[in-house]
Amino acid sequence: METQRLLFAIVLLTTAFLVLLPVVLLISYSFVESLPGQPLNLGFDAWRHAVESPLIMGSLVNSVLLLLSTHSISLPVAVVIAWVLARTDLPFRNGFEFMFWISFFMPTLSILMGWILCLDPEYGLLNKLFELLPFVDKGPFNIFSFWGIVWGHLATHAITIKVMLLTPIFRNIDSSFEEASAICGANRVTTLIRVMVPAVTPAILAITLIAMIRAMQSFEIEMVLGSPIRLYVYSTLVYSLIEQEPPDFGAASALATIGLGCLLPLIFAQRWVGLRRQYVSVSGRMKSASVRLGPWRTPVFLAICTVVLILTVIPIVFLGLTSTMKLFGFFNIPEPWTWGHWATVFADESFRQSVINTLQMSAGAALVAIVLLSLIAYFSVRSSFKGRSLLDFVSWLPAAVPGVLFSLGLLYAFLEIPLFRPLYGSMALMIIAAVMGSMTLGTQIFKSAMLQLSRDIEEASAVSGATWLRTFRSVVLPIVVPTVLLVGITIFITAAREIASVSLVATGGTKTLSLLQLDYMVQGRYGPAAVISFIVILMSTGLALAARALGLRIGLKN
Amino acid sequence: MTSVATHEGALSLRGLTKRFAAFAAVDGIDLEVRPGQLMALLGPSGCGKTTTLRMVAGLEQPTGGEICFGNSTFVSTADEIEVSTHRRNIGMVFQSYALWPHMTVFQNVAYPLSVRKVASAEIKRRVCAVLELMELGALIDKTIPQLSGGQQQRVALARALVYEPSLMLFDEPFSNLDVHLRAQMRMELKRLRRKVTMTGLFVTHDQAEALSVADSIAIMHGGRIQQVGAPQDIYKRPATKFVRDFLGRVLSLHGSYDAAGGEARVRLADGTMLSCDAPESNPGSRVEVSIRPEFVKFYEDGEPARANTVTGTIEELLFTGDRFETRLHLGGEHVFTELPAGRPWHEGDAIRLELPMAALSVWPDK
Repeated sequence: METQRLLFAIVLLTTAFLVLLPVVLLISYSFVESLPGQPLNLGFDAWRHAVESPLIMGSLVNSVLLLLSTHSISLPVAVVIAWVLARTDLPFRNGFEFMFWISFFMPTLSILMGWILCLDPEYGLLNKLFELLPFVDKGPFNIFSFWGIVWGHLATHAITIKVMLLTPIFRNIDSSFEEASAICGANRVTTLIRVMVPAVTPAILAITLIAMIRAMQSFEIEMVLGSPIRLYVYSTLVYSLIEQEPPDFGAASALATIGLGCLLPLIFAQRWVGLRRQYVSVSGRMKSASVRLGPWRTPVFLAICTVVLILTVIPIVFLGLTSTMKLFGFFNIPEPWTWGHWATVFADESFRQSVINTLQMSAGAALVAIVLLSLIAYFSVRSSFKGRSLLDFVSWLPAAVPGVLFSLGLLYAFLEIPLFRPLYGSMALMIIAAVMGSMTLGTQIFKSAMLQLSRDIEEASAVSGATWLRTFRSVVLPIVVPTVLLVGITIFITAAREIASVSLVATGGTKTLSLLQLDYMVQGRYGPAAVISFIVILMSTGLALAARALGLRIGLKN
Repeated sequence: MTSVATHEGALSLRGLTKRFAAFAAVDGIDLEVRPGQLMALLGPSGCGKTTTLRMVAGLEQPTGGEICFGNSTFVSTADEIEVSTHRRNIGMVFQSYALWPHMTVFQNVAYPLSVRKVASAEIKRRVCAVLELMELGALIDKTIPQLSGGQQQRVALARALVYEPSLMLFDEPFSNLDVHLRAQMRMELKRLRRKVTMTGLFVTHDQAEALSVADSIAIMHGGRIQQVGAPQDIYKRPATKFVRDFLGRVLSLHGSYDAAGGEARVRLADGTMLSCDAPESNPGSRVEVSIRPEFVKFYEDGEPARANTVTGTIEELLFTGDRFETRLHLGGEHVFTELPAGRPWHEGDAIRLELPMAALSVWPDK
């Protein structure tokens, strides 16, 4: 009992410190008027500036508009796809589900790179294709636009995540709901709209809230597609306020605080809906017969094929093409193909350094996460200590705070507190940032594994005469070994492709592969960017398949 | 054959209480289990029997009272003593068996010994001996999912026995087995108890199980103990109506108390007088007379009338295999009871029953 209490105190203090300190600093900095190094001077200047600045208010409006557009397209599409995958006799539906799963692990930036190559206003291959048509002077697509950003979201995660969350929910609905509706005379579309969708409404509501929270955090797509046309959302504006010369910490903090304020009601709503999720009309019997698509089989099959191709194969093919083309988009020059970009990248010292950095950071984050998150999960599931709910809340906060803001908070903490200043620019800081970025997902996976572990299993060990530590070591950990590996791999992948939460704490010496990729993309160096995108995709997909082999089923348990 | 050593020591619970906010799951119970005795805690779900067992194991902390075993105090709220579960040297068989899926049969059973730092040769010897005792020798290297329910049950028992714990706890151990296996396991437990002396507590909601395996039964209801006694005594002479109804079926008739002539009698609704061993009561007070159906005697055709006979008619009959479920109009009221199969009963027939005085019990009727 005593060892357990001591360990709990250590875990709680460490986590609370790492999570809460950056958030507190972030908010308090919006009231500081003096520059770093000068005597402290508090005031509301930054706030006044933020409220008056059209750029800052405009960025919030952009965030909301993008959210609405993306969600109102992706939700209906995802509902239909999830229903088809879960409830019909569509051929290859398991294969399609697997492809969505793969798509979930695809690094956003790389897929986005593929689409830039298709839809760039000057060189985009789709535009070139259109220009081959008579009477068309200029291709119609421009990815560097509002709708380009919406497309970027749809083609990366917006649809995928919803399909993964909704499919198991549709699958678990008792088919007598559908059968009763059919007997009452309703056709399949009516049944889907009038019976099935209402049955999953609580789940859809929860997913919508998750989508809204994620939209407030979204960063890379807006960074790459919005910056060139000076279309800012609030996360990219925070970033550019810090990266500009001189950085405007006050305005960035004020904007960050407003963003957090907008998120709070969403977060509480999401928790509330999440807690009531038991209400979803899922019966214990789980009888689910499949609906025959009949003549619709072929069109539905083709439609879902198209979605899957858009999400995975098409962008990868374009990445491959571009990485081996002398001049991207120009097929008619003599000898258009080259390995030159690959050679350039591999010869680049900063590439090699960033590969090493990525491996160090991801491996470090995976190790730290396994130890810290397994204990957090154990204590929140199993113990009855007083601070348990605080620990639970703190472990879950990083999912709600946008990565860029976390990065900014960590930057403050490690620049301003003399004790930590030596860590600035070190790998340790990157590892901390990466662990923060994946804390909630990792803890969640551990928790679901530990919830399935019956309490008897531990009690039997105590009755047999084992101490708590012995029980944790000999019984709990060995049983969750697959989960440990799983969390390790998942954290490795997410850390390797993480951009937002490490963006502001990285320095020249600790830059990771995905940050290098971002640099190349922002600079418009598409050749090397495509090469790195390709490498990152190979790495993520390989590890994702390994995780799959270990039994990761995201979506089934959440 | 190894014989598990007899451990002297009685288990005693004094004023044991467990409150969850305002609700008392266990409400100040006192109980003594003598050395070598197996005590069943019997009651419907929610009566507090499992909570009591878990407090003895140290898996729940009482909010009041104390638990002592032999010379040691496991827990005492007054003296603020609390011995951790792993230091109590007890064995426990869980309802779910709680076998560790990542270990083999051998590793599961060896675990309590390895935790106690027993030498590995000794571990091997003792594990083999106890697996032999449980007739599991052939399964020693199997993993847990490869075993059937009955085999898992025996491994769980072996794991609890292997370190010769001073006190054995059983938490509804047979409730996950099917009817046949359950009967078989009861036999097995009886066989085992001839070879191994154990002091123990056995929680169950199945009265047949409690009656057949335990030396003594404590019947719990609403967090309190209603009656403690040997199975046969408690079955024949229940102390409360709850105990009477929980332990088996009864045929109950209503009437009024009549002490005319110095002999206790009950007058039924149709005027029939039944002699019975009733406690003193006010003449005319309403009472209920009860009898277990198996003690009812039936008349052959034309037999002369005996004492304590009631008459009536068969109103409904349902054949259920080994007996008939029936509704009778008996002694002036409608009653549900059962009739033995093997006689040609018919709906509408008149019926005569003898209710022997020794088998009757009388209860105040509210």
